[in-house]
Amino acid sequence: MKITKFTFALLSCAILLSACSSDDDAATEDLSGQTGDLVLKFDNGVGDQDFIFGTEYAKSNNESYKVDNLKYIISNVRLTDDEGNVFEYPTEDNIFIVDEEDGNNAGEIYITLENVDAADYVSVTYGVGVDQERFLLGAEGQGDFLDEASDEGMMWSWASGYKFIRIDGTFTNDTTTDEPLNVHMGSVGTSLDNYRELTLVLPNSARVRTDDTPEIHLKADISKVFDGTTSVNFADGYDQVHTDATETPVIATNIQGMFSVDHVHND
Amino acid sequence: MSVFQSFKIVGTSLLLLISGISLANTNLHKDHLHYNEPTKVFCDICSCATSSGSTGFGTLSNSNFFGVRYMYQNFESRNGIFENSPTSEEHFNTFQLWAQISVYKNFYVTANLPYQDLNKDFNGVSENLSGFGDASVIGWYKHVFYKKEESDEVNFSEEKTPSGHSLQFGLGIKVPTGKFEQRLTESVNPGFQVGTGSVDTVLSLGHNYGGDKIGVNTLLSYYAKGENKNEYQFGNQFSYSSRVFTVFPKENVNVMPFLGVSGDIYNEIKQYGEKIANSNGNIVNGTLGLEVIYEKFIFGSNYTLPIYQDLFGGNVESKQRFSVYLNIAI
Repeated sequence: MKITKFTFALLSCAILLSACSSDDDAATEDLSGQTGDLVLKFDNGVGDQDFIFGTEYAKSNNESYKVDNLKYIISNVRLTDDEGNVFEYPTEDNIFIVDEEDGNNAGEIYITLENVDAADYVSVTYGVGVDQERFLLGAEGQGDFLDEASDEGMMWSWASGYKFIRIDGTFTNDTTTDEPLNVHMGSVGTSLDNYRELTLVLPNSARVRTDDTPEIHLKADISKVFDGTTSVNFADGYDQVHTDATETPVIATNIQGMFSVDHVHND
Repeated sequence: MSVFQSFKIVGTSLLLLISGISLANTNLHKDHLHYNEPTKVFCDICSCATSSGSTGFGTLSNSNFFGVRYMYQNFESRNGIFENSPTSEEHFNTFQLWAQISVYKNFYVTANLPYQDLNKDFNGVSENLSGFGDASVIGWYKHVFYKKEESDEVNFSEEKTPSGHSLQFGLGIKVPTGKFEQRLTESVNPGFQVGTGSVDTVLSLGHNYGGDKIGVNTLLSYYAKGENKNEYQFGNQFSYSSRVFTVFPKENVNVMPFLGVSGDIYNEIKQYGEKIANSNGNIVNGTLGLEVIYEKFIFGSNYTLPIYQDLFGGNVESKQRFSVYLNIAI
């Protein structure tokens, strides 16, 4: 039939036209010596809701909580590119405090890594808190971060060390209303190591170039602090988490699992 | 792969249409409405991903024309990764010069040049983007179906009788006369751009039917989007539109109200050769409209509301669309 032939001809044209785009230009890009910036964008939430100070959030066991202070320490950020090369940020600068208070109007906290080797990164690795090696550098070895952590209320005495996460607020359950909630979890000197690392695979590669600053948008689900790998109850003593050798590792492991990558934005 | 997808979609649609036509042919009415046989004017391969070819089939009447069209679109977009993240509101105004020009016998060309005036309100701050959008030109071939002659009748006339059915085949191109800005790719609504920066091809198939009481215009289009110089590639798109209309002839005025269903299916956007998650979408719209023909003037207006939508992972919501046009038949 005439029409069928005609249509077929048209289709063939369209296929030819749409098939002639080429993508053989990226293979030979030389990135050696080139550096750029990369942004880690932390976004705290509770489940699918954005985290907001003073909002009452429900948890398991018919308990709820309100938070008015939320901070945690991120360190030892490493990036792995599509060829398996690992870029590690310089140790002395590779520690950050993510403070909800510092969020922009969308509640996002930016950590900008500078002079990152240009590459297409496919995963990011970091630790929550301070590892033993860094702690053992002593007070002098901490550089400016010791003062910063002290100012932010993320230190106990030097002997005890850093608070890896700090959640201050109140909780309510069947027996009490608006009682203080304080989760100040960290390692305890060298006797208890609660530093945990995690690796997140990126849904799109983060392309660092001199003029291209990718943003990795990380979601931290604060509900996982209490209802993570292990569900814990305020009624059982998890309303006050400080240096306890049983409670702190549970919270540390829960926090290790609270992060995910929502998306990567390439400029 | 997109090419095969396009082949499948268009192929299936073709089969459906052709079988539909052969059915309809067996069931012909003797008299047809005395107005020009409707054809659609393909017009709008808007620059924006959330704009669509399904907006464009406003002119029901057949004549060649030139004219202007104004289109307003309204979206709400979630600016953040949470359900309660703040939303922005986008107001897109498009002003178009458009035309349909006869070339030779059953061949004609449609063309349009849009001017975009886009506004985004977020947290009390307004952002404006304006400028010429992407122009497009499409070449069409129209095939008119005629009644089969009964063997026991003698037809003294040399003229064949049109069956009321026709098919249109279109092949066109959209060129990046509008500016694409990479910084705007961060915007939740990828449609907040005056241009795509890419050369796109479009393949269209239309079917028109004009019967006793009603006419039906249907158009299927597939857009193969090219990659722009920022290695950004909007997702290929399939658009469909079908309109049922009738005509109320007054002395020298024809009033043609219509009801329509249209929609768009978008594939994922690609950047640096990688698909971006949650950048695909699907929307089905219902349209109510009116066209008034007075002498050489064709005035049209229509209002569109979404029936179903899932755009960009639910982050973008189309609210409504409104358009008016004034054409002069040539």
